[in-house]
Amino acid sequence: MKISEERLKQVLADVFGIDVRQIGSATSVDTVKEWDSLKHLNLVLALEQQFDITFTVEQTVEILNYPLIKAVLGEHGIEFC
Amino acid sequence: MSVASLNAALARLKKDSSYGAYGAVSSALDHFQGLEKPYSFLRVAFLRNFTLDPLIPVIKGEAALAEFFPEIYLGGFDQIPQDVFDPQSALYQFKPDLIFLLQWLDPLAPGLTGRFASLSPEQVDDEIARVLALVRQFVTMIRQYSDKPVVLNNFPLPSYPAMGIVDVQVQAVLTLNAGLRQLAKEVADIFLVDMMSVLARIGAERGIDERYWQVGRAPLGPAALLPVGREFGKFIRALNGRTRKCLVLDCDQVLWGGIVGEDGLKGIRIGTTFPGSCFQDFQREVLNLHDRGVLLALCSKNNEADVLEVFRSHSGMLLREEHFAARRINWEDKATNLEAIARELNIGLDSLVFVDDSPFECDLVRERLPQVAVVELSAESWRARSQLMAGGYFDALTFSGEDRQRTRMYRDDARRKVLSAATGTLEEYLAMLGMIAGIGRAGEAEISRIAQLTQKTNQFNLTTQRYTEDEIRRLAGDPAVDVFYLRLRDKVSDMGIVGVGIIKYQAQQARIDTFLLSCRVLGREVEKAFFSCMIDAVLERNCRLVRGQFLATAKNAPAADFYRLLGFVPAAENSRGVDWELSLTGAFPRPAMIGIEVIEPKE
Repeated sequence: MKISEERLKQVLADVFGIDVRQIGSATSVDTVKEWDSLKHLNLVLALEQQFDITFTVEQTVEILNYPLIKAVLGEHGIEFC
Repeated sequence: MSVASLNAALARLKKDSSYGAYGAVSSALDHFQGLEKPYSFLRVAFLRNFTLDPLIPVIKGEAALAEFFPEIYLGGFDQIPQDVFDPQSALYQFKPDLIFLLQWLDPLAPGLTGRFASLSPEQVDDEIARVLALVRQFVTMIRQYSDKPVVLNNFPLPSYPAMGIVDVQVQAVLTLNAGLRQLAKEVADIFLVDMMSVLARIGAERGIDERYWQVGRAPLGPAALLPVGREFGKFIRALNGRTRKCLVLDCDQVLWGGIVGEDGLKGIRIGTTFPGSCFQDFQREVLNLHDRGVLLALCSKNNEADVLEVFRSHSGMLLREEHFAARRINWEDKATNLEAIARELNIGLDSLVFVDDSPFECDLVRERLPQVAVVELSAESWRARSQLMAGGYFDALTFSGEDRQRTRMYRDDARRKVLSAATGTLEEYLAMLGMIAGIGRAGEAEISRIAQLTQKTNQFNLTTQRYTEDEIRRLAGDPAVDVFYLRLRDKVSDMGIVGVGIIKYQAQQARIDTFLLSCRVLGREVEKAFFSCMIDAVLERNCRLVRGQFLATAKNAPAADFYRLLGFVPAAENSRGVDWELSLTGAFPRPAMIGIEVIEPKE
């Protein structure tokens, strides 16, 4: 499935309540102060709901920055354009 | 963020009801700046024994859709008794307008969910009675200190019953649920959110996510968040008088298939066979709402005579003219007509639910009259019935005035009875729990859990020292260091290892390197029991001076007063925190309601 990267960015922006323009390859648990453990769970659920996928447990703890999120979504057959 | 950005997020949510859109509203509320809030505050408290944090954005979105500015109090994980019994608790200080008391069955009654097959019928009955008595005690205690509504949940049925096809476990949960329903009937202003039915609707296998349950005690997965959150939203609306009163219906493609102005009376589809049956079933649902006391109105772009002819002479029609309190059948725009209907019926626009199949008309109404709830029907007419009912816009707590009156009298009476019987303190509750604290020195079997607790624990953690397993192993092997752990169990369940204390010794001095407790056991005096056992070990080493630091972080405020409460005195203060010390004169007092077991290391 090919989706626009904007849609992915919007998911993160909604969960953390920040401007979508702030989301990019530098976005990570270390650079976004709103990204705590509970918001992380919300993020995981939001991604699963938005893209209709089911992460493995390992993937849910792994996706701690934007490039990793893209990589793990790639493992679920989601590509970005 | 401003009113404009909140409104933009709400407008998006009304069209795109995704988890993301709820998150955007929730964030807009969090970042709202300006003293003047656009809506009145609604203070909602959640007490819970499971992780429900992912539901919060949905609930906040629902509150904002009902034009409330939500303030949320989220009780600590598994901290219900602490909030409920203590008149000074954070719950009561929050002064909630509405309290959700939410419990998941597994931690509440592990016997009923775990080893059910090992229980005798009497034990099952006892366990059901115990859970019901406990919930009753919680709500009666809340009633002592708050007269606001309390919403309880019932429990989903087990997907794979313990006894297989001759099961009685399902029956046990149903009995429990019936008992909760009875409780809600007896005590004033106690309501029951039907979690069992909501999860049945989406399917337990889809809704309950074993992954998040195992990882973070969060049982509700992505598929359940919106349906469950919206179910809570129905209570928020119903309890605050935001129930809508009038259903305004378009005609063509809503009440019948086809366009009466083009297809004529004989050409439209409404009857007992497909596709007319979809419309008949829809009309039946509308009549059901009518029977519940919902006002009906028509709003259609048509020649009035054509429409009235359908109502008067089409044999497939279940709805008749007399069911409608108002109608606007003309060529005006629908927003203008809705305003006229509201005026005629003398109700607010926020009492209307507008149903139409045209995206254009729906958008127009959303844009011009944001107070009106809009149900945009899909082109697939078999969906219409569930689309109409899903919102729960007309859900009220009672059916009729007389019914309400009767229930009120019944409840007031029952409430007095309950209140006179209600006694209990947190101490009594804790004593009843029969807690046993097991204290031991770390061996190989505990190292992994101990390291994990040092990594994960943020709230009750005096120094927030993080350790790897190797580091813990090295410390445990060091003769000048004690690595203690605390196991806690009570009559209900074994919570496993929930505390860690690390003491380093040097020249007759003991320094507390780490002292932490999992947040779920806070407020049970467990920390004092644990600490007193550690002090015994310090005395055995002939140490008479204990030192410790409190290093403040963004999250460990719950532990800030710990040393002072134990009688430590501040010895020094630096930029990172305070050094405390205590001269020991003898053993430390132990809380009476906690039994102590010293666990010998296994060789």
